[in-house]
Amino acid sequence: MTVPRVNPPRRRQRPDLMAWGLGIWVVVFMTFLLFPIAAVVVVSFSSATYIAFPMPGLSLRWYARIFEYRPFIDSLIVSLQIAIGSAALGILFGVPAALWVARSRTSAAALIGNLLLAPISVPAIVLGFSLLYLLSAIGIGISFAALLISHTVVAIPYISRTVLAVYRALPPDFEEAASVLGATRRQTLYHTTLPLIRPGIFAGSLFAVLISLDNLPLSFFFGTAQSNTLPVVMLSYMQSQFDPSIAAISTVQMLIAVTALLILNATYGIDRLTAA
Amino acid sequence: MSLQTVTSLPASAPTRSKGTRFRLASASWALPAVLFLLMFLIAPLVANAFRSVTLGEAALHPLAYYEKLLLDSYYSGIFFTTFKVSLITTLCTLVLGYPVAYFMVRYAGRWNALILFCMIAPLLTSIIMRTFGWRVLLARRGLINVWLTDSGIVSRPLDIINDPLVVYIGLVHVMAPFMVLSITAVLQGVDVRLEESARVLGANRWRTFFHITLPLSLDGIATGCMLVFVITNGSFLTMLLLGGGKVQTLSLLIYQQFNLTQDVGFAAAMGNVLLISAMACVALQARFVRRRGVKA
Amino acid sequence: MVSVPLSLRGISKSFGTVQALKPLSLDVEAGEMIALLGPSGCGKTTTLRSIAGFEQPDTGAIYIGPHDVTELPPNLRNLGMVFQNYSLFPHMSVGENVAFGLKMRGIARADRESRARDLLKLVRLGDFADREIHQLSGGQQQRVALARALVTDPKILLLDEPLGALDKNLRESMQFELRAIQRRLGITSILVTHDQEEALTMSDRVAVMSAGEIVQIGAPAEVYEKPVNRFVADFLGTANIFSGSALAPEADGSWRVALAGTERVEARITTNKALVAGECVTFAVRPERLLIGPPDGPGLTARVRDVVYRGPFLTYELDAAGRTTPLFVYGQARTPVPVSSAVRLTWEPGCAVLLEAHP
Repeated sequence: MTVPRVNPPRRRQRPDLMAWGLGIWVVVFMTFLLFPIAAVVVVSFSSATYIAFPMPGLSLRWYARIFEYRPFIDSLIVSLQIAIGSAALGILFGVPAALWVARSRTSAAALIGNLLLAPISVPAIVLGFSLLYLLSAIGIGISFAALLISHTVVAIPYISRTVLAVYRALPPDFEEAASVLGATRRQTLYHTTLPLIRPGIFAGSLFAVLISLDNLPLSFFFGTAQSNTLPVVMLSYMQSQFDPSIAAISTVQMLIAVTALLILNATYGIDRLTAA
Repeated sequence: MSLQTVTSLPASAPTRSKGTRFRLASASWALPAVLFLLMFLIAPLVANAFRSVTLGEAALHPLAYYEKLLLDSYYSGIFFTTFKVSLITTLCTLVLGYPVAYFMVRYAGRWNALILFCMIAPLLTSIIMRTFGWRVLLARRGLINVWLTDSGIVSRPLDIINDPLVVYIGLVHVMAPFMVLSITAVLQGVDVRLEESARVLGANRWRTFFHITLPLSLDGIATGCMLVFVITNGSFLTMLLLGGGKVQTLSLLIYQQFNLTQDVGFAAAMGNVLLISAMACVALQARFVRRRGVKA
Repeated sequence: MVSVPLSLRGISKSFGTVQALKPLSLDVEAGEMIALLGPSGCGKTTTLRSIAGFEQPDTGAIYIGPHDVTELPPNLRNLGMVFQNYSLFPHMSVGENVAFGLKMRGIARADRESRARDLLKLVRLGDFADREIHQLSGGQQQRVALARALVTDPKILLLDEPLGALDKNLRESMQFELRAIQRRLGITSILVTHDQEEALTMSDRVAVMSAGEIVQIGAPAEVYEKPVNRFVADFLGTANIFSGSALAPEADGSWRVALAGTERVEARITTNKALVAGECVTFAVRPERLLIGPPDGPGLTARVRDVVYRGPFLTYELDAAGRTTPLFVYGQARTPVPVSSAVRLTWEPGCAVLLEAHP
């Protein structure tokens, strides 16, 4: 075959089998992930008093039940308070410590860095009852305060981790520039450092809040009649009654989390946050 | 502050102290966190370990509970089950999740944000919701059974819900996003030009994957596996709510023990064993990842 | 090794609404080194990647020797490619990197290792087989990348801005070394670069590209001395652009033109296009072809605005009558002309090249 003189005609693109195969698998996978969640949302609108298909009809009665059955709403509020409170305390403790660990090269800093991240490695149930005994011994016992303390212990590593990653990636040039321009340490912190590491703080706090809202093994030990978190209440309800009200309260909780994430995505973008 | 008048400059440069590099934070900034964690993380765990060798049966024989756990066939059976469940879950999430991660990094393009959202969305829902969802799907009159009987594939509803397999389905469902996100984090750092180099040198797609992509993503695989293994070790909700209680793991045992008995020392010992296994996994991961020393 | 030619016929490629390549044809002779030169976005990288097989052209075909390879995946085309950042496999040693192509072909270990060593000797890294990639300097990595590309005896060698990451001195010595190896092996090569000096130094022919097409292709001297339009003149080196109107042809084929501006100065320009008297012409003269003469001599009146010391020579920036942009002249460092001197500019015959002409 010799090289032709004229240009060959337009060609069809070869289909990329690998891309299509993987793409189909991803669709199957995402269906697998979302299917049970979708099922719960659908069931929450069922008019039956038990879980069965096909659903006899649609109704909002289970959403109304959320307000009738006091423990649901009460515990949702407690969960939100604990989640946000523990994240706030986590920021207060974790951010300054992370800022020091990130720039210090001593072995003490490395050790403290490991300490900051340690709670993630501890199984929640073990931490839960260990902390229960300690807090009882020092008089705090089973209470809202105990819940707050235990959730803060878990929040600190999530916040420290992302702040460490973001701050380490930040060149010290910015703070040095601020210093040359006359800023004191405090001014540098507020005007230069904190704004630049804000994505790290937000990402870590988001993780901490989500983990806290869903943290059953830890909260399980500190529940009182007045202050229980939502997962604990849901579990005990589920073990006695198997009706769609669980579906309704779950859907509400999910909507709160999804809304928060969408707001965060609009302001910062998910890709950047999960990268940190 | 007034400037001192200098009548003459020194002949040579004055000596300055070492380490005048600018640093924003001082060591005292870490103090609150350290004190808080010492008090509410380290102290309770140490006390727990202490209790496990001093209370109840251990008062007479310190290692009584540990012997019971390791030597009694019932308990060693539970260890085996725990290990087996975690291992199988880890392998399943790895095999099922790696292709998803690869697609996300290499092919997804503008769909990446959507896939990422679908990956994260389950993490936003309560684990109770997800487990409840599987019950809804697989119950006697759940969605799957209704479809199967209506379409005539089976004549009677299947008793899936009490099958141990369901526990694995539930665990893989919960753990998969962790594995996928761990792998994508590392896979993103593998330059596509390395794969292109291999292709020009004669490697087809599969060989490129095995010789180049897979070795370079090993860090992500290791991280993902350790993460899934440790979390599965510590989880008990899935085993509690699915599979009819047939899958008995250590965490579930601790939960039940705490509800039923008041044997504090025993619960402490079990918790300690769980803790030590978790620490061992973390240490293993740190050693493994550091030794490879591969910069992406 | 037997050299083969490479032919592109009517290759075009669009990415969404952006047309990266207009239908492009190119014939590279066996054993020739062609440089694809142009600014970012001109399509040179797209062309190279199409030859490699990473981009599928929308139209057209690619022939290596007599074979149409357009449908073949990259691993079956038997090419050698050196990437911009070398793309050496970080988890393999130097020797394993170089031997990789042979491993893919199923060559036995002993044979692979000895051939890899031969190639490492060719690039003067004979003892480096057991080193790790991160232990190498940039220049060494570049040579390993070259050895790796050549190990399978490829018919075509593709170079994607291979020297961009090196510092200046290393770059210059590598240019010579790369060229020497290419000549010695006689392998048909395509070099993609945005560095015009590199293109002129290393290639047999230069294809200057802009906006998806080849604007001019020819030997380095031809493309540099006789640019076909303003873009080529500006892209390769500095060009002093003049405008004027055509007056009358001379016996040797050059044309007399009147320089635009207040001064009525006549100049001679070379052109291979037929001109019509009275047409507006634009032409270029290279800075090294402009001569600075005493103020009472012939030529264009100018004043030295600035002198810049460049090491081997000086660059003069001059303001001339009737011009808004300055003129640049290269001069000898040993006979400098002071700033603010009034001078006259002339150029050697045959050095003014026509770029554009319109009525």
